[in-house]
Amino acid sequence: MILAGVLLLLALVLPGLPLGQWRAFLLDAAQFAFLISGLALAWDLLARTGQLSLAHGAFFGLGAYAAALSAPALGTIPALLVGGAIAALSSLLLGLATLRLQGMYFAIATLAFSEVMRTLVLKSQFTGGSIGLPVQPAFAGAYPLGGYYLAVAVLIICTVVSLLLSRSRLNYAMAATRQGEAVARVLGVSVVRVKLVTFMISAFLAGLAGGVYAMKTLFLSPYDAFGLGRAVEALVIPIFGGLYTTTGPLLGGLIIVSLETWLRLRIGEGYLVVYGVILVLTILFLPKGLMSLFARRKGASHA
Amino acid sequence: MLKVTGLTKRFGGVVAASEVNLEVHGGEILAVIGPNGAGKSTLLNLLSGLTRPDAGRIEFLGLEITHSVPEVRTWKGLGRAFQIVQPFHEMTVQENLMVGALYGKPGTSMQTAQKVVRQVIGLTGLAAKADTEAGELTLLEDKRLELARALCTQPKLLLLDEVMAGLRPAEAMEAVELVKRIRASGVTVLFIEHLMPVVRALADRVVVMDYGQVIAEGRYDEVAANVRVREAYLGRSA
Amino acid sequence: MELLLQTLINGILAAGIYALVASGLALAVGVVGIVNFAHGEFSMIGAFVSYLLFVSAGIDPIISLGLAAMVLFLVGAITYYGLIRPVLAAPELNQMLLTFGISVALQNIALLVFGADTRVVSTSYQGSTIALGSISFGVPPFAAFVLSVGLLGALYWFLGRTRLGFAVRAVAQNRLAPGLLGIETQQIYLLAFGLSAALAGVAGVMLSVMLYASPTVGFAYTLKAFAIIVMAGLGNLRGVVPAAIILALAEAFVSTYVPGGGGWVEAVFFLVIFIALTWRSWRVP
Repeated sequence: MILAGVLLLLALVLPGLPLGQWRAFLLDAAQFAFLISGLALAWDLLARTGQLSLAHGAFFGLGAYAAALSAPALGTIPALLVGGAIAALSSLLLGLATLRLQGMYFAIATLAFSEVMRTLVLKSQFTGGSIGLPVQPAFAGAYPLGGYYLAVAVLIICTVVSLLLSRSRLNYAMAATRQGEAVARVLGVSVVRVKLVTFMISAFLAGLAGGVYAMKTLFLSPYDAFGLGRAVEALVIPIFGGLYTTTGPLLGGLIIVSLETWLRLRIGEGYLVVYGVILVLTILFLPKGLMSLFARRKGASHA
Repeated sequence: MLKVTGLTKRFGGVVAASEVNLEVHGGEILAVIGPNGAGKSTLLNLLSGLTRPDAGRIEFLGLEITHSVPEVRTWKGLGRAFQIVQPFHEMTVQENLMVGALYGKPGTSMQTAQKVVRQVIGLTGLAAKADTEAGELTLLEDKRLELARALCTQPKLLLLDEVMAGLRPAEAMEAVELVKRIRASGVTVLFIEHLMPVVRALADRVVVMDYGQVIAEGRYDEVAANVRVREAYLGRSA
Repeated sequence: MELLLQTLINGILAAGIYALVASGLALAVGVVGIVNFAHGEFSMIGAFVSYLLFVSAGIDPIISLGLAAMVLFLVGAITYYGLIRPVLAAPELNQMLLTFGISVALQNIALLVFGADTRVVSTSYQGSTIALGSISFGVPPFAAFVLSVGLLGALYWFLGRTRLGFAVRAVAQNRLAPGLLGIETQQIYLLAFGLSAALAGVAGVMLSVMLYASPTVGFAYTLKAFAIIVMAGLGNLRGVVPAAIILALAEAFVSTYVPGGGGWVEAVFFLVIFIALTWRSWRVP
């Protein structure tokens, strides 16, 4: 909780610090880290209902494309909201068809959904197809730090939503759904509705992050925006940091994305190998993530 | 209060419930007994909506609920405790109860729910364990939690599925007292039970099932004297 | 009419490899109870084994088949022993995440070692075709089909007619409580997972000739295999062949009859998964 506050504060003042010649690179890397951490926080929300989603890369990509395509007509902020809304809408449709599925079936359905979304974008004309889509910078480039602060804003929104939800009545329903669906229903929880609502909130936040990402990279291609890489980042970070928490994905995002940025410089393509290895090692040796290291000392306080 | 007519459920070729007719009156404690595989648990699953019937009708408080989903039945006042206790392991006792209190009746505020939880904790004697994680409870405490959680949904009719199973006799009698207190607080109870002393101590009325059918109905001593009931029990379990 | 016949033949020929990969996955899911997202990566390794043997020593893929089967059996056994076994008692979510992690790691290790290029094993017979009247098809797909049918026959014979196969089926049907795994069960799991990987590896060798070897070649097959076993019913080995035929035919028809169908083929398995899953979810109350 305190850690989360410190991190967010640091994000706000970072551009004002004397960073020297590394300034542009650091700000760019930080912006990427914020967006991916936001995506991870969004993924964790759905995980709280016990659903393993491999579709968050697709929500991120949908948000990116929708925001990029609507920004010239609507302006930056409305376009970002459109991106989130499109992602949420697609999650509603996907959810209506699949949220009654459990465990592996849901995971496979979401994976298939991502693959098809990529195919659709690849085959469509208005998205630029396989050639790609150039994107305007945020606020048409009027503010040099506009994109950076949008990323900070996305991270803050995701953090606040995550914190609010863990203190809300919905949190009881989400945890109950995860730990025993039949029992939860008999206790009066509409598990399908709980899953749908959570899925939509989660997808909206992922789409929002995607929109800002589009305005940061200035160029989208289906392979990048809909790549499996995003889905992998979205799930490895919370698992590494600590599932069902807010600080966990934040801390995990900071550590893993830093590692990723460094690796991208060193080895370029193939950097995702660390995600695979971290995922395997975490499941084998630290299944409750980094946060369990703290929790053991402090007692079972949820943060 | 609850009226079941012609309720039927088949699993493949097995008829787990066959034309079951049953009535539960407000304020009573009704026991459903029968040998293993007689269809008692299927009956409870049909009543709480976890299984869908092939035929028949269920009425609760004068309204048909035959095809309602489980949560809607809970909202209307039909509570249920499971035979195999399934607490939410990662939550404390209090948090477990909050789920029932918050969602048992739609639109319950956090404050109201907390009040309900405090009452139920008092009634069921779980006060000392309120902040313990459910995964760390003893079997008796687990059973209490199971009961308490169902009570938090503020049921008018409570379905209990062999909640005494696995308890020592002294513990079972403690649980009997608890169920009596629950009835005294205005809740009607339908329970499934194997232990005859418990049935005798608790039930106002007993319904006997065998092969998915109701074969006898009446007060405990009437039913115990019934020939078909004796056959059903002695025929297979002796 | 000829186009229709040609499409049917293309579909049936493709179904062989599909059934081979999916049978492997069905073994892992049905016997060991593990949803293996890394299954296609075993095919990818098989394809690279074939490629490396071909370019370094000129070994024909037909010979590589046996070698790849052995290598992948070993890889599967090691994977099971070192990574899968520790999570057998863990929640399903953890198991899925683990195999997903393995998949990501293997794909990217291959990317680091070989780069993203696609590499084809170009044998002398690669381009040759068989013509029957106006219908024609390539020799490699035909050979792959025949081999797949042979291997599937052997697999069914093993499971249906041998003592060991009987033990495997017994374990599959009688899932023991986690933590109570006897030594024999452990050995059966090891065998089943090794076999599962070996089947994928053999399919990979075929892919290296018919398609190519590349780091991501296996992943599409993971998805297709999932589509097939979901259609067949989880762990139901007998349903795999008809399900594979349905998927392959659907793809062949889309590829022939849908305008610009080439790219859409990749989306067919999604539709199949989707219909099968939705049907499943609404059938169960």
